[in-house]
Amino acid sequence: MSQTILLPERPPGAVALLLNGIFGENPVFRLALSLCPAVAVTTTVANGIMLGVAVLLVQVLSSVTVALVRRGIHPRVRIPAYTIIIAVWVSAIDMTLAGYFPVLYAQVGLYVKLIVAFAIIISRLEVFASRMPLIPTFWDGLGMGLGFLFALVVIGAFRELLGSGAILGHVVTPEKPLLFFALPAGGFFTIGILMAFFNALERWKRGGKAPTAAGGGAHG
Amino acid sequence: MSAPAAGSGGAPGRAAAGPPTWAPGETWRIVLSMTLICAAGAAILGGVYLGTERYAEASRQRNERAAVTELLSLGSDATVKEIRQFLSPARDAVIYRTGEAGADAGGNGTAEGAARAPREFVFALDGTLLRSGEIASANAGEKGLHPLGRIFVASRDGAPAGFVVEGEARGYKNRIRFFVALDREWRIAGVRVVEHEEDPGLGAEVATDWFQGQYVGRDLDGAANLDVTKDPMPEDWRDALRRRGTADDPAWTERYGPLRSRESDRPIYAVTGATISSRALTDGVRATILHFRRRWELLEPYLRAAGEGA
Amino acid sequence: MDSIRPGRFASRHVTSAALGLAFLLLFAATAAADGGDAVIRGARVRAPHHLRLELTRPASSLDPANFRLTDARAPDVPIEIRSVVAEEGNAVLLEVNDRLDPSAAYRIEMLDPAAARDVRPAPWALLLTVVLSSALINNFVFTRYLGLCVFFGVSRKRDTAISMGITFAVVMILSAMLSWGLFTFVMAPLKLKFLQIIVFIGVVAFLVQALDTILKKTHKSLHQRWGVYLMLITTNCIILAVPLLNAAAESGPAESFALALGSGVGFAIALFLMSCAREKLELARVPAAFQGLPIAFTLAGLFALAFMGFSGLTFLR
Repeated sequence: MSQTILLPERPPGAVALLLNGIFGENPVFRLALSLCPAVAVTTTVANGIMLGVAVLLVQVLSSVTVALVRRGIHPRVRIPAYTIIIAVWVSAIDMTLAGYFPVLYAQVGLYVKLIVAFAIIISRLEVFASRMPLIPTFWDGLGMGLGFLFALVVIGAFRELLGSGAILGHVVTPEKPLLFFALPAGGFFTIGILMAFFNALERWKRGGKAPTAAGGGAHG
Repeated sequence: MSAPAAGSGGAPGRAAAGPPTWAPGETWRIVLSMTLICAAGAAILGGVYLGTERYAEASRQRNERAAVTELLSLGSDATVKEIRQFLSPARDAVIYRTGEAGADAGGNGTAEGAARAPREFVFALDGTLLRSGEIASANAGEKGLHPLGRIFVASRDGAPAGFVVEGEARGYKNRIRFFVALDREWRIAGVRVVEHEEDPGLGAEVATDWFQGQYVGRDLDGAANLDVTKDPMPEDWRDALRRRGTADDPAWTERYGPLRSRESDRPIYAVTGATISSRALTDGVRATILHFRRRWELLEPYLRAAGEGA
Repeated sequence: MDSIRPGRFASRHVTSAALGLAFLLLFAATAAADGGDAVIRGARVRAPHHLRLELTRPASSLDPANFRLTDARAPDVPIEIRSVVAEEGNAVLLEVNDRLDPSAAYRIEMLDPAAARDVRPAPWALLLTVVLSSALINNFVFTRYLGLCVFFGVSRKRDTAISMGITFAVVMILSAMLSWGLFTFVMAPLKLKFLQIIVFIGVVAFLVQALDTILKKTHKSLHQRWGVYLMLITTNCIILAVPLLNAAAESGPAESFALALGSGVGFAIALFLMSCAREKLELARVPAAFQGLPIAFTLAGLFALAFMGFSGLTFLR
């Protein structure tokens, strides 16, 4: 439990919250949260987008719900109450996706249901939504969701391009350059490489000092 | 979830918890608020479920109709009748039902002969007719029946225009559901995978136009002996299939017709690295066609006599 | 009260594992005992195109018309039999046109002497295949990426990894069976399937709490050792995935149990292997950017690659 999540006294502005979610505290690359789906469904960009959007919606909706009803939630049953709120939104979005995008859903269905167990969502509720006013909570949820979406699209693009030689289903190269990356094992390597890349970037920005966030325990 | 449970030691509520001292009113407040949350959640979910379920059903039917007419290269003026096949609960008879499954979900323009009552034909396993007649509803007593897939019978201007048969196979990961289209001369007009969970880049390739294009044009004998080879696909044939769209258009046929007839006696070329998926689909297509041939021979005279024949 | 010594601890686990296995075998044996027919003593798919029948007396005719073979999924369509060959003993070998699947169910009927028999793989083979498949071929960690959170979190020390793996496997089996019961007997009849996510989460949370309380009261030392891991399990994706997969496939009790057992064992294996490798990794010089999680991911990728070698493993041939 080594990551330090900075908590400002005053809610920061919308832009700062968005950027923080996408880059500063990117759930996948920086906080190393909710990795299971990031590897599992990102064999193509389309799958990544689908799950990313689902997470985005769940994060925003449950953040807003918690910000709205937190006075009614007894502190002792905070975590169960949050879990139920998340589960409701996950179920709702799961059913909606299953109804409207049956073909894509067939491949990512299980992982959409498993959003309910994502550490990223409940930790944002606990850390941010339970103490901040409604508007910043919304922006924070949106930022975190976009950060997740961004990570999934990057991983998906990497794997689809190398694995199937295509982007969003459009064939780029006639042959598959490195089929390996479309395989389950390739997903682990992709995340390892991308994470190392972001680490190196961070080190370079700080002038050679070791980054603090990623590299601790992984959750979710 | 491990993070918030263990990592949020600094949260004020948690830190203050200490030894549990319950005020009497507090318990009731907690129970009340949790009950309210649960009730609200269940209500939201119920609403969403009802809404999406209806939409999903309607869109599924629309997509299926579109797939059927597209596979048979028919326009929107074609009539498509659906026959659903079941195994009786005791698995000792085969039941065929005509008529719409979800009659209220129509309204997509195709003339459906909506006024006809659904009919049922029941055959023993050896092929003798046990009973036939009209039934109250196409969905009557569906519980306990084992579905055997559906048949779509297409006709245009009163003339038969082909069939599309639904089939299922067990793929590498999970089941593969597909449609096989047969034209009037019982040649394969197209194969389309409509549901699968195979690996992208590997098994998922069986759902691509180029792979499915390999089946097209094979006659009934060829279909009955469909096999899979691990041999590499000849370059010219690969090239031809890549240039083909979802169907053989006239320009394609003119250019690659000879290749098509050369390849139609040969086995299906497996996707590299996904022989299991390729074989699963091919075996499924073959079995579906063989089953359909036998069942249609039995059913067709009775359908015709009942005025349902295409 | 002294803490339990590791040796006694391990032996206790071996005993309980052996008991479980014995139960499984007993169950399989009783399930396999049914369906004995007087004339056709055995029937097995020997090769993709061959079915071998063992008869108690010789078949009166080797004409293919004397036999009728059907797929259980299409009992109205006979599979064309190309030839029938007598083998030593009273066995006959049917050669058919269609490919036979050793894991599917068929029915063979004979006109003279009149007899019929279901041809299906032994139940224990099917169940063991499910266990094997979910533990090795489709390992939850290496091919489905479930439980990565815990996987990377607790695989740094071998002792913790072993405890965690065992705790997980036990909770997984219990929660899968409880969820299966709820799903089959309550949610499916009441058409409440859309509540499955909430219900399954509730089941897992309830189970973890109950186990925690019971352990605390009855086996204090056990609780001291494993209580921490128990709390980490609540609403973990790998625990939740098993009931969800079972619900999606509408599995029966035996299949649900086999899937839960297989995935639990698979997770424990993955955790154990990874912890061994990571202990060694501590001593290795890793490039700065790769330190921590990136190198752990790369390592997991190598394991996943190795696990691909298990694909195709089955008890059905």
